[in-house]
Amino acid sequence: MWAMNGPAGSTASIEQDAARKQLVAALARIAGGDKSALRLLYRDTSAKLFAVCLRILHDEGEVEDVLQDVYITVWRRAGTFDPTRASPITWLVAIARNRSIDRLRSGAAARSRSLDEAAEVSDDAPSALAQIESTDEHRRLVDCLNELEPRHAAAVRSAFFGGIAYEELARRMNMPLGTVKSWIRRSLLRLRECLER
Amino acid sequence: MSDEPTRDSDDPTPVAGEYVLGVLGAAERRAFEARMARDPQLRAEVEYWERRLGVLASEVKPIDPPPRVWANIEAAIAPGAGRGGLWQNLSFWRWATVGAAAVAAACLVALVYSARAPVPNLPLIAKLQASGGQASFVATVDRRGAGLTIVPAAAPAVSERALELWLIAPGEKPQSLGLIEAGRPVHITVPARLIQSIAPQATLAVSLEPPGGSPTGQPTGPVIASGKLTNL
Repeated sequence: MWAMNGPAGSTASIEQDAARKQLVAALARIAGGDKSALRLLYRDTSAKLFAVCLRILHDEGEVEDVLQDVYITVWRRAGTFDPTRASPITWLVAIARNRSIDRLRSGAAARSRSLDEAAEVSDDAPSALAQIESTDEHRRLVDCLNELEPRHAAAVRSAFFGGIAYEELARRMNMPLGTVKSWIRRSLLRLRECLER
Repeated sequence: MSDEPTRDSDDPTPVAGEYVLGVLGAAERRAFEARMARDPQLRAEVEYWERRLGVLASEVKPIDPPPRVWANIEAAIAPGAGRGGLWQNLSFWRWATVGAAAVAAACLVALVYSARAPVPNLPLIAKLQASGGQASFVATVDRRGAGLTIVPAAAPAVSERALELWLIAPGEKPQSLGLIEAGRPVHITVPARLIQSIAPQATLAVSLEPPGGSPTGQPTGPVIASGKLTNL
């Protein structure tokens, strides 16, 4: 459904569609207990998930633990993946981010983080590389983010990439907590409006 | 945590989006998950935001994780290591623990008898454990005869993969002692060149390898159990 609505015929979208189908097929085989399919899925997705988790936890050892946990979870729960409701990569990203955020909130990682990361907040603009492998869905979201006030869009990006709680986000942006909360909530409502247009 | 206890009860979007974005604190996340478990509409909202926001991950440049991550995953999903197989079967564990204790005791008796002749060194023993702490193998070494017996205590069943035993002297590379079996005790004659490395503080380890053993002479698969040799 949502992943298929790109401009038909463009090479990028054909490749993305093929990659997606391959991951869907791998998940179906994993659900049937096929270990070689898990290996394929790991080969094709682990570097992305490792990088996503590292942005949240900033500690390779912690991220290794999370990644193991994520793929063992996938091994056990691949049967709950529903290709009509999610794309394989966003499903995996959601599992990996949730694990990382819970780990970050559990304390140790958060406390050990150094102050120099406090300046990191504006470092989340999309890179040129990202634009190359951008999907139609990604371009759509970026267009909608661009309709937001730049500071609000920056807050949404920082929250997503860093898994940062409101309090920490407010501290890093040097803004009152209530202000940051209302930025995020208003941004979510406006994003939804824009995405549904 | 939140200073705004009442919020958005009519419109699920903000809190589902906040959950997916990752701005909620630990207690709020748990509370939201509890609500979501009872409310399919909320679940659908979360799926919506996971689809919509998740595409931002395409902006993150991939970084290869170290190979040990896959090795650990593979060990964790090995047959018998999960999905309610033998590894998780309680009655198997009770049986195995009793069985292993009996076998180990028998080994000790045998060793003590065989060691009655004047022996300069006491026999050595190693309990090889998985990282979870359960003993998977018990190894005994008669140093005089350079014979090693390794008995599976609660070794995971591994099909398609061979179990290879390694000797690792402190500061040295692993040396293969040959293939062993998960289902029965194996006696190994230690090669002459390795006899002097068989000493207290040396480590014995079992790795999963391709059929026939490691093709490289070094462990290539995950280590499923290890333990130090100690004096009996």
